[in-house]
Amino acid sequence: MRLSGAVRLPQGRVWDWLPLAIIIGLALAGIIVAVIITPSFLTVDNIRAILRNASIVGIVAVAMTPMTLSGNFVSLAIGQSAMLAMVCFVALVGDGWPQALAIIVVVAGLIVVGVMQGAIVATGLNPIITTLAAGAIIFGVVTEITGAGIVRAGDYLIGWGSSTVVGIPIQVLIFFIFTVVVSILMSRTVLGRETMLVGANRATARISGISFTRVTILAFVIFSVGLAIAGILNGAAFNQATSRSFPNLTIDAIAALLVGGTAIQGGHGSPLRSAGGALFIAVISSMMVLNDFSTGGRLAVQGGVVVAVVVLLHELRRRREVR
Amino acid sequence: MSEEAAETSGLNEETAPLLRLSVRRLSKRYGNVQALDNIDFELRPGEVMALLGENGAGKSTLVKIVSGLVHHDSGTIEIDGKPASLYPSARSQAAGVAVVHQEYSSVPTLSVAENLVLGQKGIPPIWLPRELNARARRLLAGVGLDYLDPRTPVERLSVAEMQLLEVARLLVRDARILIFDEPTAALADREIERVLAVIKRLSAEGRSVIYVTHRLPEVFRLAHRVTVFRNGQSLPARSAAELDVDAVIAMMLGRELGTMFPARGSLSDEPLLRVDGLLAEGLEEPVSLSVHPGEIVGLTGQLGSGANAVVQSLAGMLPPLAGRVELKGTELSLRSRVATLKSGVAYCTADRKKDGIFAGRPIRENLSSPWVRAVSSGGWISGRRERVRSREIAAEFAIDVKRLGAAVGALSGGNQQKVAVGKWLGTDPGVILLEEPTRGVDIGARAEIYQRLRDLCSAGVGIVVASSDTSEILGLSDTIATFYRGRMIRILPHHEWTEDALVREVMHQEDEAPADASGAAT
Repeated sequence: MRLSGAVRLPQGRVWDWLPLAIIIGLALAGIIVAVIITPSFLTVDNIRAILRNASIVGIVAVAMTPMTLSGNFVSLAIGQSAMLAMVCFVALVGDGWPQALAIIVVVAGLIVVGVMQGAIVATGLNPIITTLAAGAIIFGVVTEITGAGIVRAGDYLIGWGSSTVVGIPIQVLIFFIFTVVVSILMSRTVLGRETMLVGANRATARISGISFTRVTILAFVIFSVGLAIAGILNGAAFNQATSRSFPNLTIDAIAALLVGGTAIQGGHGSPLRSAGGALFIAVISSMMVLNDFSTGGRLAVQGGVVVAVVVLLHELRRRREVR
Repeated sequence: MSEEAAETSGLNEETAPLLRLSVRRLSKRYGNVQALDNIDFELRPGEVMALLGENGAGKSTLVKIVSGLVHHDSGTIEIDGKPASLYPSARSQAAGVAVVHQEYSSVPTLSVAENLVLGQKGIPPIWLPRELNARARRLLAGVGLDYLDPRTPVERLSVAEMQLLEVARLLVRDARILIFDEPTAALADREIERVLAVIKRLSAEGRSVIYVTHRLPEVFRLAHRVTVFRNGQSLPARSAAELDVDAVIAMMLGRELGTMFPARGSLSDEPLLRVDGLLAEGLEEPVSLSVHPGEIVGLTGQLGSGANAVVQSLAGMLPPLAGRVELKGTELSLRSRVATLKSGVAYCTADRKKDGIFAGRPIRENLSSPWVRAVSSGGWISGRRERVRSREIAAEFAIDVKRLGAAVGALSGGNQQKVAVGKWLGTDPGVILLEEPTRGVDIGARAEIYQRLRDLCSAGVGIVVASSDTSEILGLSDTIATFYRGRMIRILPHHEWTEDALVREVMHQEDEAPADASGAAT
């Protein structure tokens, strides 16, 4: 069956949804296995725990997705930035500030820190190096100011961080809303389109009049909002913070993003996928917790699964490009 | 023995010589596309066989099969009369097949000599630079690069030199079947001459060459025979001597191509774009010219002649050092690409893969990329308006409107270029700037692109084309300017030029150069 006429195109559809289908399929398979070997898996409590675990990582991974899509790889200051938000929020509330004001100040502060990094990256400095340096500076400054001690909200119990809305933990609700908002931003707005195109080919984007600087800075703004939310949620849940809060968040968020199938070099992926990646990792992790895996064993298995999925997705994408 | 050697290196048309490569009834299918359908192909010892056809006709599939990158579905391949298995590529290489790719596999930061030992067998783990350089000189002499210092880093070579270096690397392996895939696509005229001379020499040594190209004039200067592929099928090989360009085009298209270049229209007197004393990096002298509504101004010269610098500067990609540019009577700021884009200047670059398309993104997003803001309100894209507008453009350029969701990278070169040019229509441009608008584009798509450019002219648009393809410039332009070493030499209406004059002026023989320099001084 020879195709005649001016244009020949391969069928692209299958390859578009396949990666997402694989993630969902693997997560479902994981859940089925989990249900069979651990009867307590499908309890309301456990599902709630999984979703809550996925939420903080998920919010950050979703927030970072525009940055990765725009070709600015990933941030290596994730844990430190979220920690900054958490410490500031707890400290401000402990100081007697009204919570609403504290939230606004923390979000604004995080945006300022993010925009400074974004501005440096937009001038052409490597984002990995820039964020690595930013992470070290943030950690150093916070440790210095807090004297490496615990910051407490004191008498002002924040409390709402552990609350639920019609049975759904507040973090899960915010994770859901945030994912929907960022997804719509990426798929329906000019900003989202420009982010995608800059990541797909920066030189072509420049000639088409799309500003790399604007896209990069706005991606850092979205990212900073996500980090602030993550820090505030944990602050409200624990009522205290230290400069060592969020020890694994950087690696976890990057893993969620990659497992979701967003291309590390940009131009391909979506916030929704990063959310899926965070859920997938939480399911695997919960399964191992319920089966009494040691912390070390859990981390090793989790790492192995992440590598396997990323390799699989890479291979699929490569085949698709060869065609 | 000597008789046999004479027999193999000479090309005797009458006696049927032993074939170096014989491909019979070869088929290959990708998904639901029959890329090759029972094709035949043969290659004699010492022969240059041109392999021609439109994009998607099956040329690159055959190249991939012969070089061992893909396995065929059915059919036979014989080398020197014996059945040969060429898959995977290690076997193909062992059988003496070598491909000179459009992309080079040299390491830019290493020297020429070092690159020549990369990946070669039988090289001792430790070597002396002196031995290495001596060996490199021998190899370089074989491809006409004897003047080159083997210690030069490869990144300092010209494109043609890199290509010839690639050939030298292949010759170490004693390749007997060399495949050149569009070797001259990125070369300027003078560099083309050098590559063609080396290919002729290789053929005289008894090596066989498969030469894939879109540039038909080269075929008649180089090839002994011509094989044309059309829609995955092969036409019998014919001697190049009994063909001409028109006959080859008819074979490729399966019909006569009326005229490649559309008729010119009339021009109005009032200039649309007036360039006065423009100077930018890459230009030695200020350039002044004007473009009228409906006019195509062709700028031609070799790489580095300054023709491309003019276009890039007008596009806002190269900051001007001096000069004034007016568009429709008001000054055009060349400060940034965003500024020129806002004023209605469309710009199509020379290298579409590098900066002309978003290969991984769908056709629709590519088409709408420069004008997506125009179909948005308050930052929200109207999906409906975007679809309607991109369908209109796709239809005008004969791009399949039902498949606008497919990635542009999956299209043939010709269709990619249609997307790269077509996307600018949505911006309602006043001026369109193009560099090498049909490089690596098959004849059918070329004719369509030329026709669309003329259509735009009749709508009052002014067009500036920079191209090193002189026949394209001559056929397409209303006004032609020649460039040489950063200077605009002459600008005249098209009917005052002949292709000979154009080629001569672009080459600008060496002996004229000093006279020209002294003339400029007085």
